Amino acid sequence: MKSLVSTGWKGPVKFRMPTAENLVPIRLDIQFEGQRYKDAFTWNPSDPDNEVVIFAKRTVKDLKLPYAFVTQIAQSIQSQLSDFRAYEGQDMYTGEKIIPIKLDLRVNHTLIKDQFLWDLNNFESDPEEFARTLCKDLGVEDPEVGPAVAFAIREQLYEIAIQSVASARESRLSKKGRRGSDHGSASKASGLSMDLMKLFSFKSSVVRKRKDLDVYEPVVDLLTSEEVDALEAREERHAR
Amino acid sequence: MAMKAPDSGGSGEILPITHSLSETTSGVAAASHSPQPPSSSSDIDTIYVPSYSRWFSWTDINGCEVRSLPEFFDSRSSSKNPKFYLYLRNSIIKQYRDDHPRKISFTDVRRTLVSDVVSIRRVFDFLDSWGLINYTSSASAKPLKWDEKEAGKSAGDAASEPSTTVKETAKRICNGCKSICSIACFACDKYDLTLCARCYVRSNYRVGINSSEFKRVEISEESKIQWSEKEILLLLEAVMHYGDDWKKVAPHVTGRTEKDCVSQFVKLPFGEQFVKESDFEDGLEAFDQIKGSAIPESEGIDKDGSSPNKRMKLTPLADASNPIMAQAAFLSALAGTKVAEAAARAAVTALSDVDEADKNASGDSNRQETNAAPSGETTRNDSERAWADAKSLIEKEEQEVEVAIKETVEVEMKKIRDRIVHFEKLDLEMERSRKQLEEMKNLLFVDQLNIFFHTRKARTSEDRVEC
Repeated sequence: MKSLVSTGWKGPVKFRMPTAENLVPIRLDIQFEGQRYKDAFTWNPSDPDNEVVIFAKRTVKDLKLPYAFVTQIAQSIQSQLSDFRAYEGQDMYTGEKIIPIKLDLRVNHTLIKDQFLWDLNNFESDPEEFARTLCKDLGVEDPEVGPAVAFAIREQLYEIAIQSVASARESRLSKKGRRGSDHGSASKASGLSMDLMKLFSFKSSVVRKRKDLDVYEPVVDLLTSEEVDALEAREERHAR
Repeated sequence: MAMKAPDSGGSGEILPITHSLSETTSGVAAASHSPQPPSSSSDIDTIYVPSYSRWFSWTDINGCEVRSLPEFFDSRSSSKNPKFYLYLRNSIIKQYRDDHPRKISFTDVRRTLVSDVVSIRRVFDFLDSWGLINYTSSASAKPLKWDEKEAGKSAGDAASEPSTTVKETAKRICNGCKSICSIACFACDKYDLTLCARCYVRSNYRVGINSSEFKRVEISEESKIQWSEKEILLLLEAVMHYGDDWKKVAPHVTGRTEKDCVSQFVKLPFGEQFVKESDFEDGLEAFDQIKGSAIPESEGIDKDGSSPNKRMKLTPLADASNPIMAQAAFLSALAGTKVAEAAARAAVTALSDVDEADKNASGDSNRQETNAAPSGETTRNDSERAWADAKSLIEKEEQEVEVAIKETVEVEMKKIRDRIVHFEKLDLEMERSRKQLEEMKNLLFVDQLNIFFHTRKARTSEDRVEC
């Protein structure tokens, strides 16, 4: 038993997005003088800082927003980037973590619901590639769905990475110097991850249980305009 | 990956291209066009691509792409690979062509591509500068020069570089020891030699050349601190085109760092553009030194002509008047000042006759030409004459416009007059019919009276009979 755990345990890694490209998900929601601008995209934190202003100016010009938006957009992006960079120096424990990632998003007229397992330890994973393949396989015609899917995956990965940093800090504070199984249990205690040992032990099979089949199946819905309007109205109400 | 050497953009020809995708409906056979770019509004289905982007192919990556966007090709990251670059590039171009002739914006593109936005922006800007997206032939005039320059740069093709750089590279590599001269060098124009101080002293030159043939040229002052007129020219052009982007301005002004460019630009006195003119005069001076003809005071340039000059000075920088200036200088060096002046004057009159539309601009640029012809006083007369010519042309135009307006007004007046006549006729008719009506009323009244009298008479006669 112990040998299994210790092979699974990795030493603390410097914080980064657990993907091949260290990209940050950026969400913008700016209201100014009655106009609302909502957007979500991925950003490479190793790009020089002047790119932020360039991007803000381009976006404002393309979308014909009032010029005051430039500073607001730039500030929002900068603050999210600096949050990300604040985490960068710290350690995180990834453990043996396979987590379910849930997708539940609506982009224009397309609704996507999906759930799948993602290996947090795989630092070569590529949400963009996954999103592109997903859209191609499901025959999604709207090209804006791909980036939204990639963004959703990244956001969840980012959340979990932050949590693991927090938990690493906690465990270091509470249990100074002790190694080994403690860390394994700390990561298991997050509740989200699946227990690999149980999953792949010789007693159970790799085939999914029937009750889980519906959950793990991707669902794509094409909505009509009225349904879209109804959903949007409901979202606005919830937001308020 | 096939690497094809790109053509150095020369004439700025543009060609329409075939869509290799079956889904688009606007397939057009490739045909080459005459150098005069046709208006793209004439045929919405044809997509025009500038000739310097002829290398583009859907499945291949060209050398210039590798050079301009190295991040995708240096295998620093596993996901930023050539295949990913192809995906980005092809999706952007496809999206643009589907929506043609509407221009595509960066935000449209980055919303539909799965990638980090800064990479998308770099590919987008690259395609934009090469005219593969958002290219309209009407915009071909000015950006063409810059795209050519970029094409020339990325092709690394020294032959396509403009002649100004050739003049600058004549800046001081010693023929004797093949090292870059600093401090001072000695130039012999007779045999076109440049020697550094050391070689000169050591007499490291060919037999048959006298040491007196050499002219001493100071370098350290010139190249380090002072800006030559050519460099200032390049600087202003670059600033006009690139604006605040000093990173791009600096390489355009060859040999100067960004800081130098910025400080020089700030120092440039824009109020007195003729100072730049006088710098140019100094350049001509260098040309003429050999002949020994003295250039009269460069301050003889007319100062009252300078205010329209000021305005015009910056814009002609970007277009053809530089070669003209150079030509005029060359001519004056070759054929003597008088001849060049006469030639320039003839050119002025010819131009003002031919070019009605750009008469103002040509008038000013001709003024510049005549200014370049080095002689103080007659320059003034020439410029005044040219100015007078321009003025007379303006007056002529004004008169024509007046005549046209007069005619229009007359026509309108005639219309109104006709209408008035018509109304008068109608009025007459009305009167007539009213009179008729009156008469009829009168007649009726008379009849009524008669009847009344008759009846009355009848009644009275009846009464008389009865009683």
